[in-house]
Amino acid sequence: MTVTLTRLLRTLGAALLLSAPPAALAQTLKIGAPLALTGALADEGRKQQVAYDLWLRRINAAGGVNVGGRKLKVELVTYDYQTNEQRASQIAEKLITQDKVDVLTAPFGSGHTKVVAGVAERYGVPVVASVASSESVFNQGYKYLFGTLAPNGGLTDALVKVVAKQLPAVKRLAVLGREDVFPKSMAASMADGAKRAGLEIVYSELYPVNTMDFSSPLSKMRAAKPDWIFVSGYTKDLVLARKQMADLGVTAPVVTMITGPAYREFAEALGPLAENVTSATWWSPAVALKSDDVFGSTQAFVQDFQARGEKGEPDYVHASAAAALIAVQAAVEKAGTLDKAKVRDALAALEIRTFYGPIDFTGNGMNAARELPIIQVQGGKAVVLAPEALRQGALRPVK
Amino acid sequence: MDAALLAQVVLNGLMLGALYACIAAGFSLVWGVLNVIDMLHGSLIILAGYLTCSLWSEWHVHPFAALVPVGLVLGLAGAVLQFVLINRVVRQPVLTTLTLTFGLDMILYNVMNAVFDATPRRVTLDLGRLTFGDVVLPWDRIAAMIVALGLTALLYAVLRGSKLGRAIVAVRMDREAATLMGIRVPRIYALTFGLGAFMAGVCGALLAIVYPVTTNATGQLLGKAFIVCVVGGLGTVPGALAGGLALGVTESLGSHWFGPQAAALLGFALMLVLLVVRPTGLLGRKGYE
Repeated sequence: MTVTLTRLLRTLGAALLLSAPPAALAQTLKIGAPLALTGALADEGRKQQVAYDLWLRRINAAGGVNVGGRKLKVELVTYDYQTNEQRASQIAEKLITQDKVDVLTAPFGSGHTKVVAGVAERYGVPVVASVASSESVFNQGYKYLFGTLAPNGGLTDALVKVVAKQLPAVKRLAVLGREDVFPKSMAASMADGAKRAGLEIVYSELYPVNTMDFSSPLSKMRAAKPDWIFVSGYTKDLVLARKQMADLGVTAPVVTMITGPAYREFAEALGPLAENVTSATWWSPAVALKSDDVFGSTQAFVQDFQARGEKGEPDYVHASAAAALIAVQAAVEKAGTLDKAKVRDALAALEIRTFYGPIDFTGNGMNAARELPIIQVQGGKAVVLAPEALRQGALRPVK
Repeated sequence: MDAALLAQVVLNGLMLGALYACIAAGFSLVWGVLNVIDMLHGSLIILAGYLTCSLWSEWHVHPFAALVPVGLVLGLAGAVLQFVLINRVVRQPVLTTLTLTFGLDMILYNVMNAVFDATPRRVTLDLGRLTFGDVVLPWDRIAAMIVALGLTALLYAVLRGSKLGRAIVAVRMDREAATLMGIRVPRIYALTFGLGAFMAGVCGALLAIVYPVTTNATGQLLGKAFIVCVVGGLGTVPGALAGGLALGVTESLGSHWFGPQAAALLGFALMLVLLVVRPTGLLGRKGYE
């Protein structure tokens, strides 16, 4: 019996050696992506999907990812989680246990990122988030979570700096924020940053998620006579707020909306009303960089995007999503293995320059703070006001 | 508090209330007459909004010119839907019809998501505003108010004065008796649902000027229609108007005094108080609650 078993094992071993490469070595790098392709975040989910696809085409055209001298093709496994938090967590689990992905990406937004990161942490699978910027996601002590966006505070600090420099007469700030993870934290960090810079907060309120009308808060805001109006929310809220500001004659020399003007849809839905609205963003195609990733430059990324038949220009969601996969590639290549713990360590130590900007994950997993672009809608397009080196125009007051 | 600001807040509430009335009128009619809770109502309004936006961006059709045609398209679709589908279960308990319209709503919602995607769009038209000192009234809201009042009046006139209207009222009062009087009930049901969908269509076309149109808003619209019906009283047209205005003013004042987060809460509180104090709603009659 023992003899037969030994012989069997020997035969099997020989067979394995002959049929190289050994079965233990993977043939592909599998990346799992839970995406909101239907439901409230369908548009945002699609943006991530488009960006992943652009990266996937480039990397596979280049032969794949170089893992310890072997080129592995990349396979992206995606499922629609229907903008449903519970499904997001089920799908993350399915990707890990059934599809056996090597790395995960997180869905859109701080809230759903937190859900997926929780599952990934439990199984010890590295997860790279492209659209989460709230500290409350990254302060959970997760070891396997990394995010390509910089912290929220960087956006508002950069804004205050630009306004103080170019329109020093502006002193009275009104803040209207959406009661939701990211917009609420933006409103808070804006009020905080403005106070530190010596501005007076003359109005500050939060509105609930399903607000259908802003006339009441806007009328109150008008009575406070601000010269800087800051509104945070998602595109639908911001379009409505801007429209109702015009309707009710609420105006100020500076009108800032986060993150409205970063999206093409904002200017499209508002037309002339979008003019001179300022915003801060994590990335703008106007910030042209050369890079050593699969794209090679910001320009090449924009070209790929348009060649795919997408409308207009990519925004920070597209760029950050592609950057997340660039980070995965760099980490896997550096680790030289698909071992999850080693890839995690490589991500933590990563320091690369991409078309999207530098990626250097800090202790809590977030990308390091850097000078972020301040933009303003001028002539229907987002124009960069800062940083100084990339400046395309001067801050114009809202008429 | 400054009198002009208070006037502004109350007027804001009235104008918002007129929109609410517009949203709820068709919903109330269908609920009152057919005893069908039309879960499709919010999606129908948004569908009309998309049609109006497309007419504007493709052919530069002014939304005011689109009001009636869009309303008619939706009305026709609604009548067919009732005739072919909802009539089959209309006599079943309310949960059955609710499940059917809920299912239809999911289909319509996802079809719209696929066709138009969820990106908010709007008729980029700004009609300016009317100013009295510190009080400002946007023209498109005034227009919405006029249309809401007009529609309500029209519906009232139809129900009171026309043969069709009398038939609808008769069916609402006693289906069996109406049948015996020679009224073809399924046809009246179809026309009633069509009328409700027509109101949703006109309202959606109007909303496309004021609000960004996105599938994400369907649930909110339906929610408002619910509250307005309960507050104003079911199945009465003036009830929808009274309920809409009451809700609009409550939300506006509530938001002003206690912050925007309290506005929605106060709307529901108003509904609860009325359910306890006056279950038939402000203008509802006994028997239709």
